[in-house]
Amino acid sequence: MSRILADTVAFGKQYMRSGVAMFFAFAFPIILILIFGAIFSGAGDVRISMHVQDLDDGAYSDVYLSILENITVVDLEVIPVDQNFYDYFEQEDLSVAVLIPSNFSEQVALALAGDPSAAGYVLLYGDPSTTSFTTVTEIVDFTLTNMSQALTASTPIMGFRTEVPESLGGLNFMDFFLPGVVGLVVMTNTLYTITSTCAEYKTRSYFKLLATTKLKKHEWLLSKFLFYTVLLVASLLLTFAVGQALFDMKSTLTPLAFVFIAAGAFLFLSMGMLLGSIVKDPESASAVANAVGFPMMFLSGIFFELASMPGYIQTIAKVFPLTYFNDGLRATMIENDVNTAIVNLVIVVAIGIVFFILGSKVMSWKER
Amino acid sequence: MADDIVRVEELKKHYPPDIKAVDGVSFSIPSRQIFSLLGPNGAGKTTTVEILEGLRVPTSGTATVFGVDVHKDYDKIRKRVGILPQNFEPFDLLKPTEAVEYWARLYDIKITRSDANALIDRVGLSDRKSSMSKKLSGGEKRRLGIALSIVNEPEMLFLDEPTTGLDPKARRDLWKLIEEIRSKGTTVLLTTHYLDEAEKLSDDVAIMLRGKIVARGSPEELIAKHGKTTVVVLVGAGKDGLKEVTRRGISATEEEGDVLVPVSDPAEMRIVLAKLASIEMKVRDMYTRKQSLEDVFLSVVGSKMDEGVLAR
Repeated sequence: MSRILADTVAFGKQYMRSGVAMFFAFAFPIILILIFGAIFSGAGDVRISMHVQDLDDGAYSDVYLSILENITVVDLEVIPVDQNFYDYFEQEDLSVAVLIPSNFSEQVALALAGDPSAAGYVLLYGDPSTTSFTTVTEIVDFTLTNMSQALTASTPIMGFRTEVPESLGGLNFMDFFLPGVVGLVVMTNTLYTITSTCAEYKTRSYFKLLATTKLKKHEWLLSKFLFYTVLLVASLLLTFAVGQALFDMKSTLTPLAFVFIAAGAFLFLSMGMLLGSIVKDPESASAVANAVGFPMMFLSGIFFELASMPGYIQTIAKVFPLTYFNDGLRATMIENDVNTAIVNLVIVVAIGIVFFILGSKVMSWKER
Repeated sequence: MADDIVRVEELKKHYPPDIKAVDGVSFSIPSRQIFSLLGPNGAGKTTTVEILEGLRVPTSGTATVFGVDVHKDYDKIRKRVGILPQNFEPFDLLKPTEAVEYWARLYDIKITRSDANALIDRVGLSDRKSSMSKKLSGGEKRRLGIALSIVNEPEMLFLDEPTTGLDPKARRDLWKLIEEIRSKGTTVLLTTHYLDEAEKLSDDVAIMLRGKIVARGSPEELIAKHGKTTVVVLVGAGKDGLKEVTRRGISATEEEGDVLVPVSDPAEMRIVLAKLASIEMKVRDMYTRKQSLEDVFLSVVGSKMDEGVLAR
C-alpha cells in the first residue's frame, strides 16, 4: 500500500505542476458551463420536431398552426385530438409538446372584442433541461408575439404557459448539461492523459525503470485510479457548486454520482492504458486519443440530447461507453432513477473490465 | 569463483528471424570490481545487462546475480541491486529530493527528507535540490539517475552507458562518482562505448562485437596482449613518410596523415629512433605515447569507434 501511495503522491505532484492538466481538470468544465449556460439561457436555432395538439380547431388556432408550418426550422408533428396529450407525451418519450386548448380561438376573439380579461394561451409541456424545450419556447414566444401584433398593434392578446411533468421537478438545460460536462471531464482527464502517459513512459523507458523497483504493474494502475478519482470528485464538486450558484440548478449530487466518477475513471483509464500501449510515441498517442475521444465527445449526448439526433447517430452513440456514463449520471443526478443509473453503471464497469483485461495483456513494462 | 557476484554462462538472446543480439557470452564479476562491457552500438551490451536486470528473457544460457537465477527469481535480489538504465531521463516535474524519496518508497525503504538530501549531496546536486528535474543539465540528470540507483544501497550496481552524450567535464565528474561508489564496496557492471572510460574505471573489460565477447582481461592485460607497449608518432609524415619508413624495414601504419610506429620491446626503442632519425622526411612533430585500449580495440576489431559507431 505504501508503494501505491508513494506512486500516487509522486504522480499527483507532477500532474498538479502541469498547467495544461490542471486546466482540463478544473478550468475547462467551468468555462464550458459558463459558455453553454450563456447560449442556452438565450436563443437557440436548432432545427426541431414540434409536436402540437390542437383541441380548439378554431379560426385562430388554424392561423397559428399555419404560421408554425411555415417556419423552416420546424417539422410540425400534429398530435391527433383523440389522443390524451399527456399520455402521448409519455408514450412517445417527448422532450416538449405544445397544447392549443379548446378555448384558444374564443379567448382571442374576446380579447380582440375588447375584453381586458381575455387572452389566448397555449401550453408548453416538457422537460426544461433539454435543448429542444429551450428552442421550442423561443419559437412559441416569437410566433405568438408576432401573431398578436399582427392582429392588434396594442395590447398583447396571446401568450404561453409552461408546465413541467411532475417527475422532473423544474429542471433546466444546465441540469441536463452538467452531467454531460462531468462525463466529458472524466473522459478527457483520464483517456487523453493516460494514453499520453503510457506512450511517454514507454518511449522514455520509465516503465523499464519502474520494473526494476518493487512496484508492480497493477499497483501503478491502482495509484492512477486513486489519483484520478480524487481529482475528478474535486472537479465535480467545484463544477456543481458553480452551476448551482449561477444557474439555479435543481439536480442533486447523489452517492451514486460519486460511484459513477470512480467507474468512469476506471473505464477511461483502462481504455487509455490499452491505446497508450499500442501507440509508439506520445505524438501518436495524442492523435489516437483524439480520434477515439472526439466522436465520443460530440455523439454521446454531452452537448445535445441524443433523442433530438438522427436515428443512425443514436445507433452509433450506443457504441460509445461515454453514452452510458452520461445516461447513468443523468439518471441519478436529475431523474433520481436509480434503476436506470445502476443498469448504466454496470455497463460502464463491464466495458471498463474488458478494456482493463485487454490493456493489461498488451501493456508490458519489460522487453519481450 | 565463490565470491563472484555475477556469473554469465553461454548466454544467448536471439530474435526472429535470425538476429543474434547476444550469442554465447560468458563472464563473471568478482566482488567490489568495476567490470566494463565495451563495444559499439548494437554489440549486445545493453541486452546482456537487461537480462541480468531481469528485464529481458534469455533465449538460452544462464545468468546469475548473487547466485540467483535472474530469469526465475529476480525478486529475491531486487533490493540488493541498483540500476541506471540506458538513456536515463528523470521525471520532469519532480525535484531531485522528491524523486529520491519516491524511489526509496518504491523499494519499501523508509527515508527521511534529510536522508534524501544527504544522497543528493553525495551525487553532487546540492545546489539543484529545489530545481525541477527537467531543468537539470544532462550530467546532472545522470547524477540524479545514479542517486536513484543507489537509494537502496545496492551491493551490485548496473550502469548502462552512464556518460553517453555528456561533455568531457561531466563525464570525468561522473567517473569520480562511480569510483567513489565502488570504494564503498559496491560491485559495478558498466557498459560503455568510450574506450578511455573503460580504461580509466575498469578492473576488468570485455570487448563485445556482434553479440560475442572478442577480448577479455584487465586494461593492462589487453594492452599487453593485443597492443604494442609504445608508439612513435611522426606527425604529418603522411603517405610519403610511411613509404620511406617501411622501405627501411620498419613496421608502421598511417593514420590521419600521421605515421605510427609501434615498438613492442622498450629495448628496441633506441634503434628504432636512430633509424627514424636517419630518414629524410618532412614531419611537423614527433613524440612517443603509450598504447591504450583504443589501440587494442583497433587491433581486435579492425576498426576505430567514435560515439559508439564503428568507422568504415
